[in-house]
Amino acid sequence: MTEEQVKILLEELKTDLQSAESSAAITKLWHKYFSDTGSFKLLIKKIKDLPAEEKKTTALIIQQAYKEAQDLFTEKEKSIKGGELSGNIKSQSENINPIAPKIGHLHPISKTIREMNELFVSMGFSIMDGPEIETDEFCFQRLNVPADHPARDMQDTIYIKEPDFLLRTQTSSIEAQVLAKYKPPFKIVCPGKSYRNESVNKSNHFVFHQYQGVVVTEKANMKDLFGTFQVLFKKMYGEDVVTRYRNKYYPEVEPGVGPDMQCFNCHGKGCPLCKGVGWIEMGGAGIIHPNVMKMAGIDTKKYVGFAFGLGLDRWVMAKYKITDIRTLLGGNLGYKYYENESII
Amino acid sequence: MKVLYSEIKELVPGLKAAPKEVGEALTLTGFMMDGFTEVTYKGKKDYLLSLEIRQNRADCLSVIGIAQEVAAYYNLKLSIPTVKPIAKNTKKLDIKIEAKKETRRVLAIKLDDVKNIESPEWLKDYMSFYGLNSAGLLVDLSNYVMMATGYPSHLIDYDKTEGSICWSINNNFKEITTLLGSVTKLNNNEIIIRDNNNVLALAGIIGGKTDSIDINTKSIVVEIAIYDRSIIRKNSRSLSITTEASRRLEKDLDPNGADYAMKMLISLILKYTGGKVSSSLFSYYPKKYIAPKIQFDKELPSKLAGIEISPKDTLKILKGLNFKVISKNNKLTIIPPTSRMDVALPEDLAEEVIRIYGYDRIPTNETPCLEIVKNITPKNIVLAEKIRDILTSLGFDETLSWPLTQKGINDKFNYSDLKEITTQNSVNDLFPHLRQSIAAGLLNQMTEYFKKGVEYIDIFEIGKVFGEKDKNYLEHESLGILSATKNNTLPQFKDKTESLLRLIGFEDVKYFKSNLKPNISNPESCWDIFVNNQNIGIIYKLSPSETKLNIYFAEFDIEKITKMLTKIDNNPVVELTQKLIPLDVNIELDEKNSIFEYLDNLEKKINKKNIWSINIADIYQMKGKKRYTLRVTYEELSDKEAKEIHLKTFGLNNV
Repeated sequence: MTEEQVKILLEELKTDLQSAESSAAITKLWHKYFSDTGSFKLLIKKIKDLPAEEKKTTALIIQQAYKEAQDLFTEKEKSIKGGELSGNIKSQSENINPIAPKIGHLHPISKTIREMNELFVSMGFSIMDGPEIETDEFCFQRLNVPADHPARDMQDTIYIKEPDFLLRTQTSSIEAQVLAKYKPPFKIVCPGKSYRNESVNKSNHFVFHQYQGVVVTEKANMKDLFGTFQVLFKKMYGEDVVTRYRNKYYPEVEPGVGPDMQCFNCHGKGCPLCKGVGWIEMGGAGIIHPNVMKMAGIDTKKYVGFAFGLGLDRWVMAKYKITDIRTLLGGNLGYKYYENESII
Repeated sequence: MKVLYSEIKELVPGLKAAPKEVGEALTLTGFMMDGFTEVTYKGKKDYLLSLEIRQNRADCLSVIGIAQEVAAYYNLKLSIPTVKPIAKNTKKLDIKIEAKKETRRVLAIKLDDVKNIESPEWLKDYMSFYGLNSAGLLVDLSNYVMMATGYPSHLIDYDKTEGSICWSINNNFKEITTLLGSVTKLNNNEIIIRDNNNVLALAGIIGGKTDSIDINTKSIVVEIAIYDRSIIRKNSRSLSITTEASRRLEKDLDPNGADYAMKMLISLILKYTGGKVSSSLFSYYPKKYIAPKIQFDKELPSKLAGIEISPKDTLKILKGLNFKVISKNNKLTIIPPTSRMDVALPEDLAEEVIRIYGYDRIPTNETPCLEIVKNITPKNIVLAEKIRDILTSLGFDETLSWPLTQKGINDKFNYSDLKEITTQNSVNDLFPHLRQSIAAGLLNQMTEYFKKGVEYIDIFEIGKVFGEKDKNYLEHESLGILSATKNNTLPQFKDKTESLLRLIGFEDVKYFKSNLKPNISNPESCWDIFVNNQNIGIIYKLSPSETKLNIYFAEFDIEKITKMLTKIDNNPVVELTQKLIPLDVNIELDEKNSIFEYLDNLEKKINKKNIWSINIADIYQMKGKKRYTLRVTYEELSDKEAKEIHLKTFGLNNV
């Protein structure tokens, strides 16, 4: 093996490396020069067979050439693989899509009910529902509203089969159901649909939503009722909410209570929204009438209860700035498809 | 009810509170002020308070009733004007009461030589405050007394009547011309006042033209009557006539108070129109109303209010409201005045005490001290909330629609064997039926969205659906899900609805061609959804529509699902260090055969002991057939054991 042959081999490698352009070509060259049968590997293997006098000089030449070859190869390999990687990075790169995703939404009424339920559940209340087709007994009689009572003037009823079967006119009917079926003590809230025989227009609907609350314990009283309302009003309308509680007549309670909230629009001065009185009526409440308790077989000497009913639709309309009640149950309610309200 | 501040002050001379303050006090005690106007009355500045009167307080549809409230609130003396007794006369009036059951009390008297002149200015002004036109002195005085006392009266021009005046149930008059000149058709069951030939009045509601007072009236019969309130309400409603009289007489009005009202009216008529009493006072009062005697615990107001109200304050308030207090042997008996027909129970008395003591004295800033009680929330409510969360996470929007539908809608959407339920009297007569499926509402919503160019229509609703079976009205909570799209397919929709079922906790979900298909569905694409071998809902593609959208709908019975969920005890987890051996098998089925039926049969046949899961891994469409690749994952077995079982189970030994 002459020095010349080594040089030729090195030149050959250089030429090959120059023309190599891909990882595959480089691998091929590795096999040609550096595998067990590769030209340089064979050179190295030959060292041991050299005569002793050549071993010192030629071995050195071979080793130097082998190192130079390896360096040349590694350099070229790096350059090719590096180039390929950057090509791959580019070709496999992905961009962020600027289109917002479609997300689902709860109906504003469900959202409001949830907010209220959360509060009441945190206060240890259960959530109940009841039938929407009701009997006269549970919608009126058991709530101390006898057949000829003037309170029935307040609510025109949609009948399924007069006089016994009707669509519930108030969620108080759920109260009557729970009083009859469960043993006190209990604390419940019942969100639900109610029906009145009204024509549908911008501000009235034959179907609307109410939120009923009932507490029957050994010590329930009006102070607790007012306190409960206050907690609810603060949650729904903020800490600065101004309220008043006045005497009001409902046949199912005695004493009766009318909770009002100072008009958020005019702050009590009087405006079209509050019909000039400065207050907005929020619903009805009171201590459950002893007749209602007795009809449910509850011992009025041991237990006392309070109940309240709130109209939900107007709360929801005010909160979501909806001006037409029909929007809540019609095809007119749209959602911003990519945005929901903060849950905190 | 409107009332002038000066009138209240006249009856409560010690009143110092300003007009608005009085209105606010009345608001808190149960009579919400919904109007406050400055007016001029009798040449002086005055204030007209407009009050909402509680339904059970007929006594407060009067100035005296309101003044009594004000006096009690401010603990002042009420000074009711004294009225002269009616002059005696022995001549009997020819009056008959045939409607004995419906008539609680009638007072009537005849006056002669009255002069029905024009009313003085103050009275005309007074009438205008109540929105009444002055109709001559006699009628104006009658209305004045109604406002003052709450008792409507009726004046009959005696010279226009023939024979006896009779209170009876109408059975022959077809119509009445009212004193306002309008003709009202009668239903033949109204309580009326008539003479031998004519109907003189719709009792308790409005007088007739025949006997009405005019400028030449000289001789009148004045009557004040109280009826069974329900018949007045019924008549007023069925004839669509509401008057100041009917508003009062359809409530519980104390029959005893009629005497005072009659005396006041007679003395005013005689004072302003001249004339004389020309008959004895006719009085029909078969069953005198006596106020109840109520045993009362002085502590009850404190117990119900949750604040301390002293027995001294309690008694002071009750006395101030003119309630009689009898204390005997340490026991308290309270007798309300007969005008307070709303008070019958100790709780009624407690309300009286608390409202006058002041609702505003009950603190509102204290955290309610409510007992800890058991949670009794039914599982279907919890489930419905979970469903809302899952569906919104899957990109669906919640909607709400009308539970009442138009004629023909249920025919399209119903797939149950229940009959349609129809309302009897809905004013929305275009929507008389209760829905049998949620689909119609969602489809309406879809149409609206489509018209408005909403791009993604993935919507759901949770609500009641209704139906009748064996004369029972049934309802259950239902979930409807609708997807309308140009590109998606039924399998994609099914994946979402099935994800819901699996996220709720169901493992075994299968689909079988529906037996009862809604007419709106594409009958070739309609399946019943089975979970644990129970039908819990339906999934279908709607028949081709004009919108050219693919519309898919699924509906689930939430109550059925809830019942099943309480029995499920799934364990969907495994430690991955445990050896799971998945082995595939290909099954070829004729296209008309159901893979779910095959799986059902397979599950009955095989020993499930070492099988962790079976699922369909792939489907390959062949000519008239489908090839399903089932992946069976075995656990707690060696490779060899698993293979042996697998080959045996699927009859692959000879392959």
